[in-house]
Amino acid sequence: MPPVINVEKCNACGVCADICPTDVFHVKKKKTMPVIRYPEECWHCNACVLDCKQKALSLRIPLPLMMLHVEAKK
Amino acid sequence: MVNLSPNGEPANNRQHRGEVMALRKPGKLNKVKINMIAVDKSPIETDVLVIGGGIAGLMAGIHAARKGVGVLLAEKANTKRSGCGATGNDHFMCYIPKVHGNNLELILAEYYKSQVGGFSDPALATVFLEQSYDRVRDWERWGISMRPHGHWDFSGHAFPGRPRIWLKYAGHNQKAVLTQQAKKQKVKISNHFTVTDIIVRHGEAAGAIALDTTREQPVLRYIHAKSIIIATGCGSRLYPSPTPGWMFNTANCPVCTGSGQAMAYRAGAKLVNMEFPNRHAGPKFFARCGKATWIGLYKDPDSNPVGPFVSVATRELGDITGDIWSDVFTEKFKSGEGPVYIDCSTTSKDDIDYMMWGLVQEGNTGMLDYMAAEGIDVRKHAVEFMQYEPFLVGRGIEIDQHAETHIRGLFAAGDPVGNFRADCAGAATFGWIAGGSAAARAKRAAAFQDIARDPYARKRIRLYSAIMKRTIGPDWKEANLALQQIMNDYAGPHGRSATLLHAGSTYLQNLKKKTTETLKADNAHTLMRGIETLDLMACGEAIFKAAGERKETRAKHVRLDYPFTNPLLTDKFLTIQKKTNGRVQMQWRNRM
Repeated sequence: MPPVINVEKCNACGVCADICPTDVFHVKKKKTMPVIRYPEECWHCNACVLDCKQKALSLRIPLPLMMLHVEAKK
Repeated sequence: MVNLSPNGEPANNRQHRGEVMALRKPGKLNKVKINMIAVDKSPIETDVLVIGGGIAGLMAGIHAARKGVGVLLAEKANTKRSGCGATGNDHFMCYIPKVHGNNLELILAEYYKSQVGGFSDPALATVFLEQSYDRVRDWERWGISMRPHGHWDFSGHAFPGRPRIWLKYAGHNQKAVLTQQAKKQKVKISNHFTVTDIIVRHGEAAGAIALDTTREQPVLRYIHAKSIIIATGCGSRLYPSPTPGWMFNTANCPVCTGSGQAMAYRAGAKLVNMEFPNRHAGPKFFARCGKATWIGLYKDPDSNPVGPFVSVATRELGDITGDIWSDVFTEKFKSGEGPVYIDCSTTSKDDIDYMMWGLVQEGNTGMLDYMAAEGIDVRKHAVEFMQYEPFLVGRGIEIDQHAETHIRGLFAAGDPVGNFRADCAGAATFGWIAGGSAAARAKRAAAFQDIARDPYARKRIRLYSAIMKRTIGPDWKEANLALQQIMNDYAGPHGRSATLLHAGSTYLQNLKKKTTETLKADNAHTLMRGIETLDLMACGEAIFKAAGERKETRAKHVRLDYPFTNPLLTDKFLTIQKKTNGRVQMQWRNRM
């Protein structure tokens, strides 16, 4: 479920939870790693990925959002 | 300067221009619980309250603060990354005389032809164009690159042989820059602070109720303000998204939920143009804005272009078919000639590079990362496009040239405005206008009014308390999905009629009543979502009524029982207003 936190890289700074436009993250206690509490409310905007200085975040795009495409005809 | 308001007493005797008083972390909270929700009864006092920290809200806050008044900006998320411009934009409509010449009328005519110009009052559009270049220069001075290629680059959203009016800019950092500028001007930004209701006393905006969502359990606060600016963004989540079960897959910000329109409507302000659905288009099924950033041709499966405008797409002239005929994706599908793809395979390498850069500035890095991971390459793949569900933008609060509503001291700017639209540039320009007007009004206004005993305020707090108190009942998702299916089936873009609208309106009333009586929430987050859903229902009510009143087919308002466009209603706007006795009044007026 999006987003995905790399626990090896996350330093629990809380920036992702603070800036997420849709409040997907939850920090139970300060200086602890956030949890993805509301994954279905992710907008896939990438704000958390862009603002994570540790590069600990990535998005996993859910299957229903698959971008439909074909080979372009010449 | 920030002062605390001790003991929760109204601070009428301690008014200081340029201050925001009694803020979020007082030494002593005077909390009381009404049923199950905490209410901090010490009021926050501010000259100007800005509701929403998107482009319009930040610009409003900056300008008001520069005028020397105290400004509190309440943002439900975080101004650095909130709203439709959270991660960027790349087109800013504007009039630059040294590029366009001195005839503003020519550019105004182009504005009306564009995807945003259909339902604007000319007086507001003119003011916008006159001031838009000033805002461009502000942004450039503050650190947003408005000439990333060294010149005024008007590219995209353009017709062949016509003036080009959309400035291509590098907006990836716009929210951070505007937030920094607001702080520099001493705007007090309160993030994770959701305004839920506007309180009007004696015909004037007097304050608001807001929900502090920084903790697990919500805390309600009273805000006393001399001027209030609604800058709450668009209205998503009113109709079903392209992906069943994934409500937040919306092109525009999914937590911009028509709350400004709903708050204004409940407070007695006029809404306008609510009957007209607006639909965007973009990649299927990954709902995203930015179609004019793509540089390619819309083609059918046999590789035939579906639009008449260009045979080769370039950075200056992409295929504008999607702007002015977003129905093409739906209609070709229904006729069996679809699907329709965007094909960039014949676009030059330089323009592909320009397009990929543009998509970053537009804020589409999430989509680009996904495409890279999946091996979707625009140089060799055609990507299917679709028409997205209706949402509210440029439909809503009626304002005048000073951004003021019909309620004294209540202003609005940006997407929730109903008689003007120019998206990001419109938000920047009218946000600025609203900030100046609100500051001037605050300087003239008398003392703060105490809203704690206001009957409407107490009624709303009782509602929120009841929602938090319930242990059994539907959550916001159930309510939101129930709303979406009614909106889609009975006020949807495929067709409306008197009988369908009457039935749907009745069902929505039943749903709203049931939701109000049974909705439950278990923390600050779910309460916020629940209130958003109730706001969407209020917008839905206005849509049903206005759609019933407009007995013609015009734009995307399709009346199956009135399939013609009535010339007598050209340039006629329909307003809807809830009077103090609860009665709804609709009025026709001329476009002004």
